[in-house]
Amino acid sequence: MEKERKSMNSSLLSEMSRRSFVKLLTAGGAAAMLHGGLLTPKAFAGPAKTAGGCKAFHSACQRNCYDTCAMLSYVDDGVLKYVEGDKQSTFTNGGLCVKGYSYPRRVYSPDRIKYPMKQIGRGTGNWKRISWEEAIDSICDKILSIKKEDGHLLGLALDKNSGSEGITNCAVIQGLFTGLGYTTRFEGSNCWPAGYDAQYFDFGDMVCNDPEDLANAGYIILWGVNPAWTSIHTMKFIYAAKERGAKVVCIDPVLTQTAAKCDEYLAPKMGTDGALALGMARHILDLGLADRGWVADNALGFPEFEQYLREKVTVQWAAEETGIPAETIARIAEEFAKAKPATAWIGYGLQRHTNGGRAVRSIDALVAMTGNVGKKGGGARYGQEFTWDFEYWPKSKMSPPAGSIGFVNPAKQKPGEPTVYSNRSLNRNQAAREMRKADPKIRMLWVSCSNPMSQYPNRNEMEKMYRGLDMLVVVDQFFTQTAELADIVLPTTTQFEEWQVNVSYWHYWLAINEQCIEPLFEAKPNTVISALVSKRMNELSPGSCTYQQDLTPKECMIRNFNDTIHKLNGISSWEDLLKGPVKAKRNPVSWAEGKFKTPSGKYEFLSAKAAEYGHPALPEYHSRRPNHDKFVILTPHTKFGLHSQFINLDWMRDFNPEPCVYINPNSARSKNIVSGDMVRVYNKFGEVAVKAQVTDNVPEDTLLMYEAWFKNDKFNVQNVLDDAVADMGAYQFGGHRGPAIQEQFANVEKM
Amino acid sequence: MSKQLAFYVDSQKCIGCFSCAMACKNMYHPEPGVKWRQVYPLSEDIYPHHERAFYSLACNHCEHPTCLECCPVGAYTKREDGIVVHDQDKCIGCGNCVRSCPYGAPQYNPKLKKAEKCSMCWERIDAKLEPACVQACPVKALRIIDLSEFDDAEALHYPPGFPRFESLNPSVRFKLPRHPHVVRRNG
Ligand code: SF4
Ligand code: SF4
Ligand code: SF4
Repeated sequence: MEKERKSMNSSLLSEMSRRSFVKLLTAGGAAAMLHGGLLTPKAFAGPAKTAGGCKAFHSACQRNCYDTCAMLSYVDDGVLKYVEGDKQSTFTNGGLCVKGYSYPRRVYSPDRIKYPMKQIGRGTGNWKRISWEEAIDSICDKILSIKKEDGHLLGLALDKNSGSEGITNCAVIQGLFTGLGYTTRFEGSNCWPAGYDAQYFDFGDMVCNDPEDLANAGYIILWGVNPAWTSIHTMKFIYAAKERGAKVVCIDPVLTQTAAKCDEYLAPKMGTDGALALGMARHILDLGLADRGWVADNALGFPEFEQYLREKVTVQWAAEETGIPAETIARIAEEFAKAKPATAWIGYGLQRHTNGGRAVRSIDALVAMTGNVGKKGGGARYGQEFTWDFEYWPKSKMSPPAGSIGFVNPAKQKPGEPTVYSNRSLNRNQAAREMRKADPKIRMLWVSCSNPMSQYPNRNEMEKMYRGLDMLVVVDQFFTQTAELADIVLPTTTQFEEWQVNVSYWHYWLAINEQCIEPLFEAKPNTVISALVSKRMNELSPGSCTYQQDLTPKECMIRNFNDTIHKLNGISSWEDLLKGPVKAKRNPVSWAEGKFKTPSGKYEFLSAKAAEYGHPALPEYHSRRPNHDKFVILTPHTKFGLHSQFINLDWMRDFNPEPCVYINPNSARSKNIVSGDMVRVYNKFGEVAVKAQVTDNVPEDTLLMYEAWFKNDKFNVQNVLDDAVADMGAYQFGGHRGPAIQEQFANVEKM
Repeated sequence: MSKQLAFYVDSQKCIGCFSCAMACKNMYHPEPGVKWRQVYPLSEDIYPHHERAFYSLACNHCEHPTCLECCPVGAYTKREDGIVVHDQDKCIGCGNCVRSCPYGAPQYNPKLKKAEKCSMCWERIDAKLEPACVQACPVKALRIIDLSEFDDAEALHYPPGFPRFESLNPSVRFKLPRHPHVVRRNG
């Protein structure tokens, strides 16, 4: 039988899984559960334990993910036994993803940070357990000494990012850091600023149709988005449209999993999406298929856009620019314009380019000129923040201690008027550069809900800057590559150990997260940690922090609700959510009324706002920056993780044991590389050693590795990324443009 | 034919998301390294695009299970609905089933020194719930069917890459993946 098994393996399995298949037969070694011992199948059997024996709690997945799943968590005897999706949400319909189902192991992972820890010698791994008192004492002492020595707290910086989207985590930003005084904040978003601004220029807001409405589309272009990996619950709506006869087209430089499930897949050259959209637009004009009625009633600047297309754009030009044959561009354009309704879902990949915002504006224009904006089953879909109108308590209530000195913005300071102080804001997409030039210098950094070392570009520079700090405090659940550089790490709770509330930037559901188990070991929620610091600050120096000194996380969650949230979701109180998630009471079709939030109140092909921010007023095409090395490197998201989260878990390693770089067969041949070889991906910023996988899913000029943090593995794609920024983002993100993460270059060689 | 529950694996829909495989771990917490369900990418001679089409496989709850036949202590039973159940209390960890099953379904649990395998979540089925993997599948690519009633001319029993062991008669049916029309760039 062993022989047959081998024959099955060789016929069925790829190189990689064959190895793991064999490995699983011999695999041993396991870490004990923290509570209740190992759950054997036997121990878990019996109808009682399948549902009834456990108590179910409402939870919400808080990762930075389109799907933001409403969950049910099953607890028996104080132990989280299993989780599932909440069927009351028609979006998830009872499902989670591979990451969501690994939560029980994440909670009880033997690798969780259990106690406050102090590192003797930064980066040495020489950790010592300390008490919460000692940890908070040394943090507060340091803050006070900075204040004393500098006369202000601009040397104290906060980097709170989106590793947990639980709303109460804003307590660190709005609460603790505002309460301490004027400080430095890393701001801007690694995610979507270029496309976000683009949609603001065009529509005056970023909001889109309910993803469940994709089922009504007659034609869907999935443009630089890979929902089969990053929004798995949206796939069923795409399939539903398909079953009703819709055509689904995927546009991506990589043959993604989504591409494999579409009717047609187009692989343009990197960073040429804008040219493709404009080429299509020109062809639609030529065929007389533009929806002139819609445009006349609802849009500003279509004549100018039309003139631009006629003067500067041809299908042939687009074909040369993108590498997609002219006939294909023309055919797709015609299909798109004739199918009613047609929609494009614009991903966050294609806008992470130096011409990314313009590309999004061009796709918006294509959708608008065909009259598909404001239509059921139509729309230029990007994301929404419509449902996010929480209190972000205690934002409105907080002010810095009296007499605090802060940053003076010369642009805002009028001569002769009293000095206006504010926080200092630095762009996290250029964190190393910003830290280097910061004056006054950043002396102490507090990181929460974030793993900058695995997520921000130019890692080697980042590390240098981090090593130059007087003190680095990291609040996390795991010893990430950022925590490795900390002086003090503070263990924080998972969503199961605290109260939270969550909404999505994609669908319109709102879900509450009940605390269902006690915090493990000495982990504490961000709200509590912040209050501890505030309390100690005031003991050491009365009046030095205006943030709350005690408030339960649940109370903090409750205070984040307001009338806007109640009204939008048709609830009278947060307690209504204890019955299950609710969906915003709004038209699932955005812009149906044809009233836009732009200065003109119309859809703006021609945007004076864009011009004001230094961009062309029209969605013009500009090519991306030239290559500075042999290959383009792409570092998108894997299905096994969210940025650096989940990939480190042993359960996840069962399915995703190690990182790899994907190389096209022709390039691999020229470099004498075969699948399984260790290779070095390198450029002038750094290098990364990784195993090669040869596949023509990636084009010849491209190397692809997933952003990831594996346990006990130095692998980090950020080593070879520079901090180039996208064209747009400065409008809505405090002057901070988005990252050009998907426009990076490196070379590769066999090790 | 008497009742025989089976897995239906629709590779046309399957997006290889591994939700089914992890949902199983979420439900039973097997040791790291032990997987009752696995999602296998098809090799490129079966589907031309690397790691883009999959079979999600677990125990096939065969009509004539060799695991059951070769178990010296009778730890295996076949229920009336066809589910092949392994009783860990009886198991002595001899590994006969692990070695005999050509589909690699039973796994050796090094910690308990016993075998274990997919139970088709019979406890959940008895409680009128779907198996954990089936509930988890976001696109309904994985389903439970009853072969005594199942009649789909398109469904395959032994698709390419899935070994043919007719004597066992594995209770699983498949639908093959499709290719998109691919337009690659010039230059
Ligand atoms: S990571 Fe996304 S898809 Fe997975 S469980 Fe969380 S919200 Fe759902
Ligand atoms: S697949 Fe293997 S373990 Fe499952 S019933 Fe058949 S022979 Fe037994
Ligand atoms: S959950 Fe469904 S789609 Fe995902 S891998 Fe399993 S069978 Fe395929």
